[in-house]
Amino acid sequence: MTTYILRRLAIGVGVLLLASVLVFTLVAESGNPLGPLLANPLTPQSTIRLKILALHLNDPLWQRYWIWFSHVVRGDFGVSNNGLGVGHQLEIHMFVTLRMVILSTILSIFLAISVGLISALRNGTIVDRGVSVVNFVFLSVPVFVVGLVLKTFVAVPIDQHFHRVVLATAGEQNPLAAGNFFQRLPDYASHTILPTITLVLATYASWAIYQRSTLLDVMNSDYVRLARAKGISPRRVLLRHILRNALIPVTTVIALDFAGILGGAVITETVYGWNGLGRFFLDGVNNLDVNVTLAYLMLTAVIVILFNLMADIAYGFLDPRIRYGKQ
Amino acid sequence: MKMSKKIRPLLAVVATLALGMNALVASASTPKVQAGGTVTVDLNETLAGFNVNNVNSNEFVLQEIMQLVWPTVYFVNNKLALTLNTDLVTKVAVSSKPVETITYTINPKAVWSDGTPITADDFIYNWQSQSGNPAFTDKGGAAFQPAGTTGYSSIASVKGSNPAGGASCAAGSAADFNAGLCPNGKTVTVKFGAKTPFADWQSLFGMLVPAHQGRLVGWNTGFNINGGGDESTLLSGSWYYVSSYNASANTVVLKKNPSYWGKPGNLDSIVFAGSTDDTSGIPGIQSGTFNVFEPVSTSLAMIQQAQAAGSSVSYNVQPGLQFEHFDFNEANAYLKQLKVRQAIAYGTDRSELIALTVGQAAPSTKPLNNHIYMNTQPQYKSNGNAYNHQNIAKARHLLTSTKKFKMGKDGYFHPTYGPEKGKDFSLNISSTTGNPIRSQTEQVFQFQMKKVGIKINIVNYAAGDLFGTVIPNGRYDIAEFAWVGSPFATGNNSIYCSYTDKANCGANWVHFKNKTEDKLLTEAAAASSPAIEAKLYNQADAILWKNMVTLPLYQKPVMTAWSSAYGNILPNASSVGVTWNAQSWGLK
Repeated sequence: MTTYILRRLAIGVGVLLLASVLVFTLVAESGNPLGPLLANPLTPQSTIRLKILALHLNDPLWQRYWIWFSHVVRGDFGVSNNGLGVGHQLEIHMFVTLRMVILSTILSIFLAISVGLISALRNGTIVDRGVSVVNFVFLSVPVFVVGLVLKTFVAVPIDQHFHRVVLATAGEQNPLAAGNFFQRLPDYASHTILPTITLVLATYASWAIYQRSTLLDVMNSDYVRLARAKGISPRRVLLRHILRNALIPVTTVIALDFAGILGGAVITETVYGWNGLGRFFLDGVNNLDVNVTLAYLMLTAVIVILFNLMADIAYGFLDPRIRYGKQ
Repeated sequence: MKMSKKIRPLLAVVATLALGMNALVASASTPKVQAGGTVTVDLNETLAGFNVNNVNSNEFVLQEIMQLVWPTVYFVNNKLALTLNTDLVTKVAVSSKPVETITYTINPKAVWSDGTPITADDFIYNWQSQSGNPAFTDKGGAAFQPAGTTGYSSIASVKGSNPAGGASCAAGSAADFNAGLCPNGKTVTVKFGAKTPFADWQSLFGMLVPAHQGRLVGWNTGFNINGGGDESTLLSGSWYYVSSYNASANTVVLKKNPSYWGKPGNLDSIVFAGSTDDTSGIPGIQSGTFNVFEPVSTSLAMIQQAQAAGSSVSYNVQPGLQFEHFDFNEANAYLKQLKVRQAIAYGTDRSELIALTVGQAAPSTKPLNNHIYMNTQPQYKSNGNAYNHQNIAKARHLLTSTKKFKMGKDGYFHPTYGPEKGKDFSLNISSTTGNPIRSQTEQVFQFQMKKVGIKINIVNYAAGDLFGTVIPNGRYDIAEFAWVGSPFATGNNSIYCSYTDKANCGANWVHFKNKTEDKLLTEAAAASSPAIEAKLYNQADAILWKNMVTLPLYQKPVMTAWSSAYGNILPNASSVGVTWNAQSWGLK
């Protein structure tokens, strides 16, 4: 197993290097980072010259890549167009996003497994069909539509009914909320509930559909029939033989989907005005901020590679038949 | 000065001071409001530091915040008129001989929130940091990076005199670049160069950076605070101070400045938070998450949302100080001919174009007939009346009269020269991607030009590409975008003066060149009175129309929405935004 992990890590580093070259080239060639400054006729020429020097825009592309890369491996992501440290910004925005993403991922997993299980156990019944319809609705409706509907038809009536902000529609916290973490918990909850529900609804459906499908496959497999024939209790068959085996492919999908959830979070953050990684990335793209865009893209590349690795390792734990080290 | 929400430094005078003061008084006569309370303003841009005069943090929303924190000599009110901030400067004297000289008398009570008096040194420092003169440097010898140098670069000297209490002038120091300038003076004398008088001098000294603090922390980056305790770096010299800043949440809380010597702000605190997208603004007000909202762009859907919200939401749509227009690239083999540009202008039905696009959200939008002044400004003169109505016959006649275009059987003209020789006369129109109103405008324009006999291809780019490479490098035929202005007209000089003067006319992307225009623009910027300035700028505008340099389309409507529970909220369509009078807001 250790050899396998090391081998995968080495491949991951190689992929990351390749990704860094591709991403840098694409971002560097995507536009002139001085665009916003040049569009303002009042920007002094001296300021533009300083920016050119700071961003090494007169250097060849490979040289710019090397300057950027040699700094990144030392943990220095450079400065953004507005002169702020990108690494520090990445850090603060990441914590904002993770608050939403982690919570919604956990809830989505529970919801997907539960819904998938109910659907599979009630296969072909009206419950199964009803659940499937709901799943497909949430799978097909865009995230921002779910967000807007929740804001307009859930938050606004509730807040107007109570004459206070019960469900906040924008921002991740009220800056006037005082006290320690527990005293501020109601405020955090008020701001977190709707974005989390939005992201859960956008995420769980595909997993639930997949979970239902794998459960039905496993339920109809020979070893499950054998287990039932041996007189093992239905509960034990379900938990030990069906669910455990059906979770293996779903785990992989969830691990691989994590980067996708981050993508969904970009939209959710925009709809709810959270100042997370999504906003950070969009600002970077809109302002043609090379260092910001690169930092976000490299972070997602690392996350994808890491979660791929984690999915493989999880396979080993969930399925004892898999012995990577001896292959 | 363009379509992003980056602000443009205030540049020149538009209205007379007397007019401005009257307008302010009239506009501020609003119902009584309760004392105290909090208002939350939607903050739809990520803040990048707090020195609004610096190129890196020169954002519209930051101006809305810092104009309540750092003192400003002249305000722009909601009628786009100017008024003197007598809390800061009790008297201003202007003389034009032998050189233009402005003398400010600082209010003796004016102090920064750390107790340091506001003095001539603050004016000296703000001039030096925005002058563009490399002789003046920031902390550590770094070059200052101002957002603009207009006006400040025309100043020859800023000196203090009359220190408080009859004290003698401080020596100043060479390191602070204020040696011999009487930095502790309470009277400030600003002298412009003999050849560089500046008509829009009232635009100067807005949001003064505290000199002693700037030198201590550094002007370029010293005000890029992180929050969590370093807010005290941002000293206040106005109604409010920055009580807290949360970088990760992008929220700012302003609280009443206890050291403020003038009439204190009415609200206890003003919160800037939310960062929502445009479609969520009205629900945000309805839910109480925030109370004031200014969308990035105004749409019909948003207005309908506000109407549907009923009496709980108030809103206002008014023409802003920004206008949409077509740029004609005179470097193009065909567009360099005046008759071709005129043909396009005559063939364009601006009223129809407005009705089918922005007019759906703001039906009162009219074609704009001036490049310098907007419909809503008192200096506005309708210089483009000739193009009020579409005239296809005239457009075709203009093309035919050049004897370089022949009408083809397919209904399109065929040039007899240049890269399109013998083919359908085709031109590209370019704008920013992802902007539905601009896309619709291009499509309507395409249809209108087909009637004339010109084939229009739509080739759009991401904003960064369009303004970063495509337009500055002249890789376009016709471009559609907006210029964002202020009440100060001198900012337009760099757009319309001859492109051959690369140092001063960098925004003249259309390659227009005209000596008379240059002369008029220069004279207008140095005019001795606002009336003369307006007259000269209108003459300069007439030349722009005569040469069909660019075709202004319309003044863009700007929407502001707010909770009806609050009073005294008076939307301001200029670059100062709705918070221009936030010190007077309150619960009804």
